[in-house]
Amino acid sequence: MNGEKRFIEGNIAIVEGALAAGARFYAGYPISPSSEIAEYSSQMMPKVGGIYVQMEDEISSMAALLGASVAGKKVYTATSGPGISLMQENLGLGIMSEIPAVIIDVQRSGPSTGAATKPAQGDMMQVRWGTHGDHSIIALSPASVQECFDLTVCAFNFAEKYRTPVYLVTDESIGHLRETVTIRTLAPDEVIDRRKPDKGTVPEMFRPYNYDTDMPAAMPPFGSDEYLSRTTGSTHDEKGEFCPTPENINRITHYLTNKIEAHADDICMTKKFFLDDAEIVFIAYGCAVRSAKSALERLREEGVKAGLLQLQTVWPFPEKEVRKVLSSVKMTVVPELNLGQIAGEIQKYNDYGCKIVRANRVDGNLITPEEIMQTVKEAM
Amino acid sequence: MANYKDYMLFDKLPHTWCAGCRHGIILRAIAEALALQEIDKHKIALVSGIGCFGRVDDYLDINCMHVTHGRALPAATGVALGNPELKVLVTMGDGDCATIGGNHLINTARRNINVTAVVANNYNYGQTGGQYSGTTPEGSITSTSPYGHVEQGFDICKLAEAAGAPFVARTTPFNPVQMRELIKQGMQTKGFALIEVMDTCPTHFGRLNKFGNAAQMLEKVQGMTVPIQKASTMSEEEMEGKFATGILVNRFREDYYTRYQRIIEQLNGKGNVQ
Amino acid sequence: MKTEIVLSGVGGQGLISTGEIIGEAASIYENLFATLTSSYGSETRGTFTKSDVILSDTNINYPIIENPDVILCLAQVAYDRYQDKFLDHTLVIYDTELVVPAPNARGRHIGYAFKQMSLDLGNQAVANTIALGVILKHTGLLKRESVASAVTDRFAAKPNVIGINLKALDMGISLE
Repeated sequence: MNGEKRFIEGNIAIVEGALAAGARFYAGYPISPSSEIAEYSSQMMPKVGGIYVQMEDEISSMAALLGASVAGKKVYTATSGPGISLMQENLGLGIMSEIPAVIIDVQRSGPSTGAATKPAQGDMMQVRWGTHGDHSIIALSPASVQECFDLTVCAFNFAEKYRTPVYLVTDESIGHLRETVTIRTLAPDEVIDRRKPDKGTVPEMFRPYNYDTDMPAAMPPFGSDEYLSRTTGSTHDEKGEFCPTPENINRITHYLTNKIEAHADDICMTKKFFLDDAEIVFIAYGCAVRSAKSALERLREEGVKAGLLQLQTVWPFPEKEVRKVLSSVKMTVVPELNLGQIAGEIQKYNDYGCKIVRANRVDGNLITPEEIMQTVKEAM
Repeated sequence: MANYKDYMLFDKLPHTWCAGCRHGIILRAIAEALALQEIDKHKIALVSGIGCFGRVDDYLDINCMHVTHGRALPAATGVALGNPELKVLVTMGDGDCATIGGNHLINTARRNINVTAVVANNYNYGQTGGQYSGTTPEGSITSTSPYGHVEQGFDICKLAEAAGAPFVARTTPFNPVQMRELIKQGMQTKGFALIEVMDTCPTHFGRLNKFGNAAQMLEKVQGMTVPIQKASTMSEEEMEGKFATGILVNRFREDYYTRYQRIIEQLNGKGNVQ
Repeated sequence: MKTEIVLSGVGGQGLISTGEIIGEAASIYENLFATLTSSYGSETRGTFTKSDVILSDTNINYPIIENPDVILCLAQVAYDRYQDKFLDHTLVIYDTELVVPAPNARGRHIGYAFKQMSLDLGNQAVANTIALGVILKHTGLLKRESVASAVTDRFAAKPNVIGINLKALDMGISLE
């Protein structure tokens, strides 16, 4: 891989990914264990001509992000569970108004203040359903420092392509894990920029919203010389004007879900390890992937045919790949640093009688490979 | 010469506001202030909150961002820092500005973001049935203070001044000419400008507090005001229950973007390191 | 090849920094894989901290140490907490003035008065770097040059402390 080899923590690699993707605006409120993202962003933003602003809370941080995005910037913020809770209302504004933004959740043990410096994966459902109303969401989860860089770039690309807020959901252990990583300079075709109105679009005919297809309309920035634009969190028509008719409410609700779910094949990224002959498959995301991989290697050494499906995309849920696993093996094991948030989701697709075993740890420590192996052996 | 109509969307009229509501006067004053400055409408962004006055963007033919209740100022902060060439207007009611969004008001003023806030303060939550807000005066009857309000209301202008706003002004719908001039001057201030309009809600606040009809209510509000030139000669006792109108604060303070831009230039070798 | 090193002590002893130097020397100058995880409390100074460093010539999965090859203990609280993790082959390096080893503890114990030696060198903040030198000497893990380069990178913003850290490193390497 071309690029600069570095030994840095996940939180720093995330900022490098954001910069490489073209992010030029950060608004946030510091919180453990995400604060290095704020600190490093404050150091880097002015160097690349961007802006860092520390807002009075996470509510205003999310609002400022959406404002700067509407003004044409690629934007991001970082927080942890308590901050994600505060961002939810304006996250919904971003979904309804279709405003690109990247929100990084470095998860910690909760609820509430919990154990602020300990890792957890308890926000998986909060990021999926935390804001009110029907909607879909994109959430990516890195399992290494390299993936912190790579998936942050993907998060920005999805945000721009689908005109929507996108989560990067990591946790304390990956955020603070220092690891060997390659920081690449991205080729132009690796970066997706915001779509502008097609050449020749008459300003009077331009519409900031489009509900005829499952892809969003072009989004000229406020201040473009040709186009006036509107965004609103109220149910609106193609012009962005308030339109609360039953027909319109219905079509927008379907559209907002569809524009992501209909493109699950594009958005859902998974990695497969030893699945070909596997009899027992781990399905894992984020930090639990690391423990599962070690457990997998040791089980293989003992002659147990174990495999791993890593979910780099957690939302939209990689239903297709998960169904493949559920329909082909007798047992899947789901290690998580929560009490089974994604195991429950996997269960939804288990039309095949596959045994789904949960391996959970919620004491602020990583789940160990030994614990996972123990769970497997007990279930076998 | 630009005309206020150039900035309006007439096909959206008639507006949704109640008979006797003065939001329409503020809407026109905003459009007139834009016309007076002959600003290219592509270079204007309006960020509005939620409430009766939050609907003002429906009638304006400019870039509009309609956000959540109370968050217009932080959203406008993003717009203003995201594209500093934009003239950014923020329209809020007393709920947006001084109650649910009160913390954003003081921080936006302190940070000195280059936006102009026009606040329609009608002392209650008109859109949702006239509940009390952070500016509702003590003793007032509202739909959630049926026995008289026990809290004291905020003075929005004093808040903005104390938090560092370089331009603070107050007016009433009784004086639309002054209103448009103040909005224009606010927009020409580089930094945070706030124009409070002592507004009237005859449907709820006026009715419950027996202020008479819409015209009588407006007269009553106007009667509580004293031009700042005169107010500055009056004692505190004489000003009891009165509100100064006109430009209350007009001072220079460098805005956030200008200061931050200097850091960017220094880091990129274009400016002098201090 | 896989080596697991625990660096333990109390906040403020620069153990994360030492871990970063090892990780950087390994991954940038010797083309190895390295991970570093740290556990810490909400206090910045004075309470127990530990850093887990793993070096390997292949990808590292689970980044927490299970079978320590080296444990550095710069405080009694750290020693007491780790004693039950010592294995027979574990190299236990400790500060003789800050740690009293347990009589029947497993592992090969090597003790020096790191803090006092750093004071003698003129900077208490380099006790960790002397200890790093001792780790290198007894494990032969990394080339002195790789670590010296990582030290120089690490303190690029504070060039006046590079010299004393290199001196501390060499002092540790040369200790008998």
